[in-house]
Formats: sequence, structure tokens, C-alpha cells
Amino acid sequence: MSSPNTDAKIVRTIEEALTRPVYFRDIIEATKNQSYRAVLCAWSDVRSRLTLERDEFGRYWRK
Amino acid sequence: MATTQSNRQEDFRGMLSRMEREGQLRRVKRSASPRHITTLCHQAPAALLFESVEDYDIPVAGGLYWSRSRVASALGWPEGELGKYFAKAAAKPVPPVMVTDAPCQEVVVTGDDVDLTSLPIPFMHEKDGGPYISAGVAFAKDAEFGLNAGCYRMMFRTRRELGMDLFTASDLRRFYTKTFERNEPLPIAVAIGVHAYEHMAAAFKAPSGVNEMEIAGGLRGEPTQLVRAKTVDVPVPAHAEIVLEGELLPTGWTVDEGPFGEFAGMQGDLKHNPLFRVNAITHRRNPIFYALQMPWENDWLNGPATEAACMRVLGMAGIQVAAVRATEGGCCGWSVIASIKKRAGEGKNALTALLTLPVVKQAIVTDDDINIYDPNEVEWAITFRCQADKDIVILSGMKGKHVDPSVRPWDLKPGELPTTAKFGIDATIPEGIPAFRYERIVPAFKDEVRLEDYL
Repeated sequence: MSSPNTDAKIVRTIEEALTRPVYFRDIIEATKNQSYRAVLCAWSDVRSRLTLERDEFGRYWRK
Repeated sequence: MATTQSNRQEDFRGMLSRMEREGQLRRVKRSASPRHITTLCHQAPAALLFESVEDYDIPVAGGLYWSRSRVASALGWPEGELGKYFAKAAAKPVPPVMVTDAPCQEVVVTGDDVDLTSLPIPFMHEKDGGPYISAGVAFAKDAEFGLNAGCYRMMFRTRRELGMDLFTASDLRRFYTKTFERNEPLPIAVAIGVHAYEHMAAAFKAPSGVNEMEIAGGLRGEPTQLVRAKTVDVPVPAHAEIVLEGELLPTGWTVDEGPFGEFAGMQGDLKHNPLFRVNAITHRRNPIFYALQMPWENDWLNGPATEAACMRVLGMAGIQVAAVRATEGGCCGWSVIASIKKRAGEGKNALTALLTLPVVKQAIVTDDDINIYDPNEVEWAITFRCQADKDIVILSGMKGKHVDPSVRPWDLKPGELPTTAKFGIDATIPEGIPAFRYERIVPAFKDEVRLEDYL
């Protein structure tokens, strides 16, 4: 299976979700109309580029 | 280790086929999202094989070891004798053999082509920190201790990176600590989709220096076939479905990992763990991904070994054991029931022996006329053979585990280990009461007629 390119629109959706503390489930929920694999590719891009904060509950957010 | 050509031995997919024939696995034709695999497995009366997974051409299996009957089917052992079979097999380890060609290397992906999103890594529990590979069996070598295999969860981070849980003491943690202190990466390979024999052996807490794949050979009754991984000098099961090869980077315990739905059935904490950089993915031509479902599948991987350990300590105490059962509610280890052929005082002796096992927190001992697989019979024995002021054993200040909230682990200082109280119930007939006082009612003429002749 060839590697798909990262979908910039999904990346933006994830980055918008990360403006407040969210569980990973919320990321999946915010992108539920997208292909699962495309969401994982976008998440990979976000995690590679950005330093994400985590709280004690495991929620992510962007400072 | 001898080297030979690979030949047929029951592999992961062969085990799935057999479980299906035995009614322990069902195929799901309708396409399912990796978001929904866990909840569907939790609702299912059998293990599931999702033949079609959205966005992927890789089927996903889950729920294989969810119950005693499914574990028995996977292993091909009688349900009531898992502990006995495990003990017998572990006592006769069979060294693995190296093979030169392997199904797990039919397709090899390396370098920039490596992309973990090509695998249907599911998002499993509401508060997990990300998608998880829950069925990975990690292999690593150490100059002092040799080959080690163990089970470690891995959280998806990027196309090439996984956070690997090395929080608790383990051989792999020990290997990694050594290379970390030298500021060197530790080469590892992780097999996904191995037979229950190899998976259970890897989950077994074997002493350091014991090759778990020899235990696997004992369980299998023939040598497990291993092949050298393509990019690291580490052997892996030749018949695995998928293998991830790479290195644990010398970054220490710095990468956020978790939370994850833990083996004790509770959501775990956010942890900081090492980073696994994946440099190659090898797999069979049409691989099957395995998503191990928490908590029962994880617990059942240890259940037979716990039952075997109970039989061992009871035997050392000179007690004749009829049966041992690690119960699901006690995560197949924390709570055990044993039936014994009792002599005076041995109810308490048996309890004391069982409670010395590190994992066992509560134990019940019955006479051998009690079917310990029937909770009603066990409760009946406790009700009528136990006096709470004489037959409950409580041991305080014993070694506990952080995962148990009742030990209040958050109050501990860093590095401090928790202690716990343990208890046992002696539900054997008390000394001095004749057995006829417990004579059970028997329907009159019970052997003369059969209900099916009347329905």
C-alpha cells in the first residue's frame, strides 16, 4: 500500500481542535467524516511539527 | 541454534481457522472502521475476524483470548486443564530453530517507504492517548542474558515512531537501560500476529536468562521456528503475520505515552517512555493484523501460567491438588480458587502457600467435591463450610502493585513500593465435622430417566 500524502485540511482541523485540552477521542470525533488512515497521517504530521502539551488526564493541547 | 528451512507448523492464521471450526471465532464481512473494532469485539460472543477494514486491505482479528474457552481453543488444550498443561510444557522447554526463509518476510518495506499508517492500528478505548498496537511481541538480545521476548504496548505517534511502554520492571527495560546508559540505541523487532504458544510464552514472567521461545517450544511440542530480522540482528517468529524492525532510541523515559486501558480493567495514567523508531516493516503477502483486546485477552495470556504456579506452590506444600482456577474477575491472577484433597490443617496451609505468590491477592480453598468452575458451588461451600472468625486468613503488609488503586499508590514517595493486605477463605469442611453432615441431596432414581426422552 503506497503512502498517502498528508491532507492539509485534516491537519487544520486537528490544529483547531488542539486550541483547548482534548482527548485523542475528540480528534477522532472532529475528523470522523475523513478516512481513518488520512487522520493518522495528519496526526503524524502534527506530532512531527508541533510540541504538544499533555495534562494528567492525557489530554493534548497546543500552547 | 540449528538452522534449517522453514516447514509447516500451525501459525496464527491456522489457529484462527481452527478456532472458527470450533465455533470460537466468527468472520465479519461488513466493512468496519478501525474506530469500531474494539467496541464490536467487546460485544461479540466469539472472537472476530474483520475481513474488510475501511481504508485497508489488511483484515483484523480481535478477542481471541477473551475467555477460558477461547484460550483453550487457541491452545488446543482441555478447558479445565490449562494450568496442568502449561506446567507440563514449561517443564520441558524445546529450543527454537533458526530458518533461512520465512513467511513473515515475503514483503519487505524499508527506509523512507516505512509508514505505520499502512497498518490498521485501531483506536481502542475512550481515553486512550492514541491508536495502539496491543498485540506486539518484542524481541531483543543482550550479551549477558541472550534473547528475550515480551509483550509491550505501543502508541502510534508518527509514520515511523511509536511510544513503547517500558515503565514497569522487565527484561527489555533492563536491556534498554544498559544501552541508554551507553547512549546507544537498542535494536529490537516486534512481531504482530504470532500463535498463542509464542504469545503466551512471551507474556510468561520467565526468569532472566530463560529464553521464552524455549518455553514456546515446550507449549507447542516442537521447536518454534525463528528467522533473523532483515535489518537488525534479532530473531523473530518465522510465521508471524507482521514484523516491525527498528531501534529503541537512547532518549530515555521522555516521550509521552498513554493513557491506555490497562490489564486490570481500568484506564491507566499518562506515562513517559522510550521511543521506538521503526526502520523496516516485513509481513506475509496477505497479512492479518491482530488487535488484542483489553483487559481479558491480556489477562488470559497469563491465566494458565498463574494456575501452573498455584499448582507448583501447593505441591511444594505437600498438598494434593484437584483443580485450580484463576478467575476472570481477578484478572486471571489476583484471585484464585483451588480444590484440594484435604488433610487436617491443609486448608490454611494451602491458603498461605497461594498468598505467597506475588500476584495473588485473594484465594479460596475448597474440598475436591466442589466444582470450582461453578460460582454457585463455590459460594455454597463458603456459606456452609466457613466460619468467618476462624476460616478467613488475612496477611498484612505484603508486596502490592501500583495498578491497584486500593493501595493508594499516589501517596507513595518516588521509588517507594506499595504494600497490600491479602486474604484467603478456607471453605473446606472444618476439622471435627463429619462429612455426612454435608451429604448433598440426590434426585431419586436419577440414573433411570433422561429429560431429552420427555421433551
